[in-house]
Amino acid sequence: MSNILVIEDDDIMLKAIRNILRKDGHEVITAKDGKEAFEKLDNEQYDIVITDLMMPYANGLEVVSRLRSNPDKRHVGIIVCSSVGNEETITEAFRLGADDYLKKPIMAGELMIRIRKLLANRSSNMKLVTKKK
Amino acid sequence: MGATFVEYASWFFETTVFIYGVALLLIYAVLAVLSFINIRLFLRKESYTDYNLIVGSPLAPGISVIAPAFNEGLTIISNVRSLLTFDYPNYEVIIINDGSTDDTLEKVVNEFSLVKVDFAYDVKISSKPIRGIYKSTDEAYAKLLVVDKENGKAKADATNAGLNVAAYPYFLCTDVDCILHAQTLQMLIKPIMEEENTRVIATGATLRMANSCEVDEGVLVNIKAPRPLLARFQELEYIRSFVLGKMGWSYINAVPNVSGGLGLFDKEIAIKAGGYDPASFGEDMELRMRVSRYVYDNKIKSSVRYIPNTLCWTEGPTTVKIFMRQRTRWARGLLQLMLAHKKMFFNPAYGRVGMIVYPYNFFFELLAPVVEFLGIIYYIFLIYFGMVNWPYAIILLVFVYTYSVMISTLSVLWDQLTFQYYKTWGDVARVAMMVFIEMLLYHPLIVAFSIRGYYFQLTNRSHSWGNMQRAGFKKKDDNKTPTPTSSTPTADATNAATTAAT
Amino acid sequence: MWRDLVDLLFQAYEQFSLLPLFIEIALAFIIIAIVATIIAYGAIMYKRYRAYVHEKRVAFISPIIEDLITEQVLLNENLGRDTLIEEIEFDKEALSNKVYKKAFVRQILIETLIQYRKNFRGEVGDLLRKLYIDMDLQKDSFAKMKSVRWERKIKAVVELTQMDITISDVTILPLTNSTNPSLRAAARNAYIQLSKNEPFKFFDIATEPLLPWDQLEMFKIITTTKDIAIPNFSRWVSYSTNKSVVSFCLKLIAHYDQQSAIPAVMELLNNKDHYFRADAISCLGKLSAEVAEEKMVKIYNHQPINCQIEILRAMGSIASGRYFEFLKTEFLYSSNFDIRMNAARAIIRHNTQHSRLLVEELMEMTHEENQLIIKHCLNPLIKY
Repeated sequence: MSNILVIEDDDIMLKAIRNILRKDGHEVITAKDGKEAFEKLDNEQYDIVITDLMMPYANGLEVVSRLRSNPDKRHVGIIVCSSVGNEETITEAFRLGADDYLKKPIMAGELMIRIRKLLANRSSNMKLVTKKK
Repeated sequence: MGATFVEYASWFFETTVFIYGVALLLIYAVLAVLSFINIRLFLRKESYTDYNLIVGSPLAPGISVIAPAFNEGLTIISNVRSLLTFDYPNYEVIIINDGSTDDTLEKVVNEFSLVKVDFAYDVKISSKPIRGIYKSTDEAYAKLLVVDKENGKAKADATNAGLNVAAYPYFLCTDVDCILHAQTLQMLIKPIMEEENTRVIATGATLRMANSCEVDEGVLVNIKAPRPLLARFQELEYIRSFVLGKMGWSYINAVPNVSGGLGLFDKEIAIKAGGYDPASFGEDMELRMRVSRYVYDNKIKSSVRYIPNTLCWTEGPTTVKIFMRQRTRWARGLLQLMLAHKKMFFNPAYGRVGMIVYPYNFFFELLAPVVEFLGIIYYIFLIYFGMVNWPYAIILLVFVYTYSVMISTLSVLWDQLTFQYYKTWGDVARVAMMVFIEMLLYHPLIVAFSIRGYYFQLTNRSHSWGNMQRAGFKKKDDNKTPTPTSSTPTADATNAATTAAT
Repeated sequence: MWRDLVDLLFQAYEQFSLLPLFIEIALAFIIIAIVATIIAYGAIMYKRYRAYVHEKRVAFISPIIEDLITEQVLLNENLGRDTLIEEIEFDKEALSNKVYKKAFVRQILIETLIQYRKNFRGEVGDLLRKLYIDMDLQKDSFAKMKSVRWERKIKAVVELTQMDITISDVTILPLTNSTNPSLRAAARNAYIQLSKNEPFKFFDIATEPLLPWDQLEMFKIITTTKDIAIPNFSRWVSYSTNKSVVSFCLKLIAHYDQQSAIPAVMELLNNKDHYFRADAISCLGKLSAEVAEEKMVKIYNHQPINCQIEILRAMGSIASGRYFEFLKTEFLYSSNFDIRMNAARAIIRHNTQHSRLLVEELMEMTHEENQLIIKHCLNPLIKY
């Protein structure tokens, strides 16, 4: 259905999100740190990227920033999912172009709804783009 | 009666040395016990502590990480990157380019999209002029601040420049080439946040050798005991100095030094005390003393705390030549510092720092190599005149040897109790084996280099060479002082043995 | 032969007793040191062996536990279908696997469940809690509570609060007065989270300082627990004699934007402790308390630097526009760098037509360093 990259350094959370999303019918690829994330981002196209903030090699904000500044990947839906909840970090994430920010502990249902919304937005925008052509 | 001057002198010398040796051994015994109690207490608290709390909290105090860099072009990118990935919500990273002659600055500027900004700051502590301050145009690196300054030929000068621009109430002093644990900030801030009634002005944690560890882009992938012999000795020495030494001192709030490789400080106090002294050869310990002086002079109840976990890995010198420079420099620093703060010596106005920290450093760090050196000369003299009672001398030597082996082995045990950093038995054995040969191979070097340092300091020999080494070697070996010198319980092997001579 | 040995030992002792005292002591210590060294090595090996066994066990049991949680909780068919969490039943067979009878497995299970709860709330979180209860794990936690070791007790309290299990007042109240500060703090936090009647009563009675580390947990509990009735914290600002309680309440007032607390907070402006006054001023700033501005300006001249800086900051966030003259004077004529910096920032933060004009005007009339200050504050890349 849709291709999702989950970047998260906590093993439990990574597996949990993967399982939940797979059950919902998504194709899920995982990365456990910044380095792996960048490799996987280079190799494939994703519809949505879910990223943690604090992890080895690279900060989640870098992931957001790199995606948004790459012309091919600019339109990927990005959800930041972190235990950091201070205002400054959240605004930074949004300013960089994150679509959503979920503070841990998250609600699985909420995550799913946001993903569906992002996917819906994406496909309607895609239609617009193709129509113009 | 018919005693000659020589006999009196030798009697006096032997008695003094004997008392000295016994006191040193006792101190080590006490430290072993105190550190054990302290580590146990720490571990009991750790068993339920949830560090996630501070990561997710808006109340986390802000910390400025200050890391000077000099000609680090080869590794600077991954080093900076790793400093940007601490598990902590509220911090900034200040990299000081200390007038590098290579492409350090250029590389950082390109990699992190930095631009020169008009940055207003107040010179609270003087340093060599700042040439420019850089911030990133990429919000992902909003935490990063790069200061480009003229070379001040000292880490102290660079750190001071960083202090002037630091925004947060606490600062972490480190080196750009140190590999820090991702949890460093949360673990070091905790002792500051859980002390009743006193202001914790500095905290620190154990340092270890990075020499044989597997490091990938500034991230520690596999922790291994160092393979090179010299680095292995240093690993053991650091474990003993931090896990057994500083943890013991920390329990009674008498930490002698907060290592320059890793220390978290209260910025207000550090600045008011005058910051780092660029003229010092042991600026970390010098700051520790000056800060204490400041708080006692101003009647602030304060403490300095250590935690037993290793949070910092640093490259130790692997050639005797570089090692010699490092230790000579530390010895100079110690002598310099003792002279500068002699007012505190047994001065009750300076509390534990005056009554314990200073005297301990004076007698058992500063004087230890001298006493030992004199002991050896005296011993040679006795042998020459055939005045040695060999069986007794050997018994005493064996005594000191077994005692030092015991203390060092205990420190390895305490370290294992804290956390098992080594993944294999082989690594443990590799370090533990050093316990048996340290006294014969490593210790004499330390004594010799310390004496060399004192001699250079007293004769005021070329101040510049000590600073030159920052330029001369890619790896700065001289700024991560665990303790300025590191007397071991073996320090008086030969001296104690001399008492057997009569 | 036996006799020979005894004789030998006896002779050795005779020899020994003839030696000088210090040699005797040295010999005794040699034995002690050798024995201690051997014991230390034994302990190192034992410790590592234990860790090795534990690691093996965890490696074996973790996948089983993770599968259990994945199947029973994360992928539970009844989630998201308007079924009440209490009514969701687990697969009895999966839960009754006999590995779950072993104590160490149960402990790992508890820790894993807590780990999941840190990541998930909502339905999944509630279902994790139900699994904890259905497997009778709270019994393990309560058993720990009876331990004589304080860290075990704290662990129990933490587990139960993480799982949102009510602890009876009889059990928890005595612990809230414990002489051990960590246990006391944990018990108080548990009480705030779990007690339905008077969660904040400790604010009235606490005489010892509320340590910043413990405030982290307390702040989290107060701000995230669902059905805590948030009181008006100004009560303690006015009446508590415990400074740490008051400064903690100031943080909560700011967090909840309790405008009604402004008068009580303003009272603190007369407090003798300047660190404390600074906290109060900063709180007023966060509340955008325009009514406090006049008073702050009035007392400004008699304040130490840290309070003056806080006043300027507060005026920046209140941004009423009534004190441009004051801010301008401070910016132009103060000899203190930090004052000038914060005055400039306060003016800029107004972000009105007037403030922008004023900044331009100041830029033209002031000296180089002040111009740099303005440029610094205007630069969006610099945050502080």
